[in-house]
Amino acid sequence: MTSLSPNPAPASCGGSCPLEQVRYACTLGAITSVIAIPGAQPITHCGPGCASKQFHALSGISGYQGGEFQVPSTNMGNREVIFGGADRLDTVIGATLKVMEADLFVVLSGCVPALIGDDVASVVSGYRKRGVPIVFAETNGYQGNNFTGHEIVARAIIDQYADDYAGPVQPGLVNVWSLLPYQNPFWRGDLEEIQRLLDGIGLEVNILFGHSSRGAEEWRQVPRAQFNLVLSPWLGLETARHLEQKYGQPFLHIPTVPIGARETGRFLRAVADFAGLDRDRVERFIAAEERRYYLYLRDFSAFYAGCTSQYQLPSALVVVSDSAYNLAVSAFMIDQLGLVPACHIITENPPEAERAGIVAAFRALSDDSEVPVYFAEDGYEIDRIVRATDLTGHLPIVFGTTWEDELAKALDAPLIEIGYPCTDEVVLSRSYIGYRGALHLIERIYTTVVRAETMG
Amino acid sequence: MTLNLKHPEAETREQRLGTITQWEGCASDLARDSAFTSGCGKAGRGAGGKRLCEQDSPLSQASMCAECIAVTNATIIQDSVVIQHSPIGCAASQSFTCRYYRDLAARRGWEVKNPQSICTNLTERDMVFGGVGKLEQAIRTAWARHRPKVIFVASSCSTGIIGDDIDSTAQALEAELGVTIVTLHCEGFKSKHWSSGWDVIEHGILRRLVRKDPPARQADLINVIHLGGPDVFSPLLEPLGLRVNLVMGGSPLDRLARMSEATATATMCFVLSYLATGLEQEYGVPEVKAPLPYGQDATDEWLRDIARMTGREDRVEALIARERARVAPELARLRRALAGKRGFVAAGAAFAHGLLADLRELGVTVDAAYSFHHDPSTDSGDPRQDSLSHLVETWGDVAHFTVSPDQHFQAHAALQRAKPDFVICRHTGSIAALAGRLGIPVLPIFYSNDGLGYDGLITIGRAILRILPRRRFYQDVAAHSSFPYQRWWKDETNPYALSIPAV
Repeated sequence: MTSLSPNPAPASCGGSCPLEQVRYACTLGAITSVIAIPGAQPITHCGPGCASKQFHALSGISGYQGGEFQVPSTNMGNREVIFGGADRLDTVIGATLKVMEADLFVVLSGCVPALIGDDVASVVSGYRKRGVPIVFAETNGYQGNNFTGHEIVARAIIDQYADDYAGPVQPGLVNVWSLLPYQNPFWRGDLEEIQRLLDGIGLEVNILFGHSSRGAEEWRQVPRAQFNLVLSPWLGLETARHLEQKYGQPFLHIPTVPIGARETGRFLRAVADFAGLDRDRVERFIAAEERRYYLYLRDFSAFYAGCTSQYQLPSALVVVSDSAYNLAVSAFMIDQLGLVPACHIITENPPEAERAGIVAAFRALSDDSEVPVYFAEDGYEIDRIVRATDLTGHLPIVFGTTWEDELAKALDAPLIEIGYPCTDEVVLSRSYIGYRGALHLIERIYTTVVRAETMG
Repeated sequence: MTLNLKHPEAETREQRLGTITQWEGCASDLARDSAFTSGCGKAGRGAGGKRLCEQDSPLSQASMCAECIAVTNATIIQDSVVIQHSPIGCAASQSFTCRYYRDLAARRGWEVKNPQSICTNLTERDMVFGGVGKLEQAIRTAWARHRPKVIFVASSCSTGIIGDDIDSTAQALEAELGVTIVTLHCEGFKSKHWSSGWDVIEHGILRRLVRKDPPARQADLINVIHLGGPDVFSPLLEPLGLRVNLVMGGSPLDRLARMSEATATATMCFVLSYLATGLEQEYGVPEVKAPLPYGQDATDEWLRDIARMTGREDRVEALIARERARVAPELARLRRALAGKRGFVAAGAAFAHGLLADLRELGVTVDAAYSFHHDPSTDSGDPRQDSLSHLVETWGDVAHFTVSPDQHFQAHAALQRAKPDFVICRHTGSIAALAGRLGIPVLPIFYSNDGLGYDGLITIGRAILRILPRRRFYQDVAAHSSFPYQRWWKDETNPYALSIPAV
C-alpha cells in the first residue's frame, strides 16, 4: 500500500489555497456553537446572508439537525459599509433586548465590520456595564474557520461571562471540550453519551453544549471544575490552555474519541486515574457496560462470520473527515472490526503545531501496517489521493461526506456519511461513540453494506 | 427603462424598480401606491395615491444575500465552474447547492454528480494585500482541472470592500486561456434584497452566454424562464406546436445560447423577468406580458397571449377547453375537500401573488399573506405585469399583506394574527420551521413550478390535503417548545409593532 508522507500545504498560497468542495464553515460559523448552548442567543453583525448561510449549511442541510435560528443581525448594507455599522448594531441589540429573552447574548462579528473598522467591542461592553449578560466574539470570517471560531466563542464566554472565581475547586467536576457542534452531525447524541459515561464513573460534568447541558448556568461553573477534559485530537486545547493559565485548572488531553468497549474502557480508566476516582466504582461501571456491549457483539458475530449471508464485507478503510471522527472511526474499525487502514485524509486544516500529534495518534492505531495519513481540504486533491491508493485485492469502505458519493461509487464502495456536509442522513439523537454509539455505528455500516448488495 | 448591458454590474432592483422590503397594510393599498411609480423617491410619475415608502425596523434578523442567489444559479448551469472570490464562509452554500444540483439532475435525467465550484478562500493577508493573485490561481485551477465551457467569477462583500478588480483579471485570463469568463458582481451589502441576485446572473447570461448573432428566428421555439424543477411547461405548450426552451433553474449552455433565436419568452415569475426584458430589448424576442398562469382564467389568457404572439390562435381554444375539461372533476373534488379551510401564503412578490390566486381558486380562504419583497414595477414597465393589481382585481383584496425579508419575528406576529389552518411557503428561510413550531401544517414549495397552469391547481390542492393531517405532529411539538421571544411579543399580532409608522 502506497504511503505518502503527510503533505504540507503548498507555500504559494500561504496555507490557504483556493478550495473545491468546502468541508467547513468560516469563523462566523461558530454561531452554531452559540446556538448549541441552551438559553444562549447569538446576535450577528455582518452582511445579510452570512449567518444564514453558515447555519443552513451546518445544520439545515447537514443531517437536517434543525436548531433555533431566529438570529438578530444587522444585515449590513451600503449605508453601514459607507458610514459605519456600530450605530445599527447598537439599535439591533437594543431591540433584541426588548423583544427576545435569553440567559446569555453572544455578539459575533463578520468580515464587513472588521474591514470597515467598526468598534464592536465598545458597543457590546456598554451593554455589559449596564448588567446585560452579553459578550462579544470577534469572528471575522476571513481569519479562520468554524473550528477556530468555536474556541473564540468559548474564550469570549469564559472571559466576559463566567464567574471570576477564586475559591476552591469542586472535586469531581469536569469541563468537557470535545466534538464541534453541528459540524459533526452526531454531536448531540455523542455529547450525551460522553456525559453518561463520565457520570457513570462518578464525575459531575459540565458538558457545555447540547441538549443535556444546563446552558449558561453551566458556563458560570467552568472555573470551579477540578479539571478540563479535552477529548479530541486538537480542538479545545487552546481553551484548556487558557483555563490552565487563568484559573490554574489542569487538563487531560485524550485525542481519540472512544468508540467501542476497548477504546472506551481505556478512556474511562485514563480519566479516572487523572481525576483520582474510586477505581472499584469505575470498574463496576465498565463491567456492566461491557456485559451489554459484548452480548450484542456476540450476536453480531454470526453475521460478521458470514454463516448466514453471502455478502462481501469491506476489508479496507478509506476515511475522509475532520480529525476527531477520522481518528475515532479509524481506531474502531481497525482495532475492533479488523479492517486494514488504507487512506485517512484529515480535512479541517488543523493548526500546524498540532499536526505532528495527530499523525502520531494515527500511527499508533495499528501494529500490523502503517496508517497512511494526509492533510487535505480540497475535494479535487482528496479524490486524487484516494484514487492513487493501492486497494488491490481489497473491498474498500468509505467514511466521508456527501462530496465522497461520486468517489465511493467509482470505487464500488459503500459510503458512510460521518462529516459535513452530510445530506443523506437524518440525524436526531443517534450517537456513534462510547458503548452504545458503537453498536449504532455497526448497524449503520452493515445495513448500508447489505442494502448496497441487495438493492443496488 | 433600458437595461444597461454594457456595464459588467447590473443595477440593483431598488435602483431599477424601486423595490422595497418592508411594508404592512392591505394588498389593494400596496397595489394602488405602487402604481408603477418607481417608488418612494420618484413620486408623482404615476397614478399612486401616495408615495410608496418603506417601514423601518429597529430589529432585523439574519436574512439572505444576492450572492447566494447568483452563485447558486450559476453553479447549476452545466459545464461551468463557479469561483466564489471570497473568504471561505461565502462558500458554505456549496453544500446545499450540491444537494440541489444532485436532486435537480436526478429529476431532469442528467448525470448525478457534484457541481463544480471553487472558493478563493481569502484570509487576513489577502484582505491587506488584495486577493486578485488568488483569483488568478483559482481560474487557472478551474481550467486545468475541469476544462469548463464557462467560468463564473462571483464577488463578495469582502472583495467589494477591498476593491479587487475581478473584471480585469477575468478579461486577461479569458484572452490567455480561451474560455468564457463571466463576472458576477453580487456583493451582499449592495442590495437590500437577495432577489437582486437573479438580476446579476441574468445580466451575466445576457451579456456573455446568449448567442449574439442568431442565425434565424425559430418560429416554434419559446423560452421559458423558471426557478427550477420539473418541466411542467412542455405539456401545456407542445399541443400548440411549440418547443419549450427551459432556462434558468439548471440550464445546459446551448439552451442559454439559443434564447436569442426564440419566437417569444415567458417567465414563470416576474421576479426573474430581467432576462426576458433583456432578450426583447437586445434581440427583439418578445416577452409574454400576460399575467402569470396561476389559476384557470389566467392560464387561459396566458395561453391565448402566447398563441397570438406565435401565430397559433387556431389551436388554442381547443387546448383550453380540453385542459379545463380534464382537470374539472379532480378540481371539484379538491374544492369540496378544501372548503372552509384558511390558508396563509409566504413567498416572494409575484410568486406569492400567484399562490394566492391558486388558493382562492381552490376555494381556500386567504386573508393574510407575507411577501419577502415587493417590486412596484417590472423591467418592462408594462402594467399587464402588475401581478398584485391583477390579483386584487381578479380575486379581491388581501386584508393583511406583509412585506418583510424573511424576518422570523415579524412572520410570527403575522401568523398569530392570521391563525391559518395551513401555510404554503417558498422553501427557503424561516417560515416553514416557524409555522410548524406554531402548530400549523406547512406546505413548502421547493420546486416553484408546482402551482402553474391547470395542473398547478391539482398539484397544490393535493399537496395541501397531504399535509393537513400532520397538524397532530406540529401541535404536539408546539405544545412542548417555545420561541425565545418575550411574552408580549409572543402575543403581538402586528408585524411592524416595533416600527415608527411610515410617512
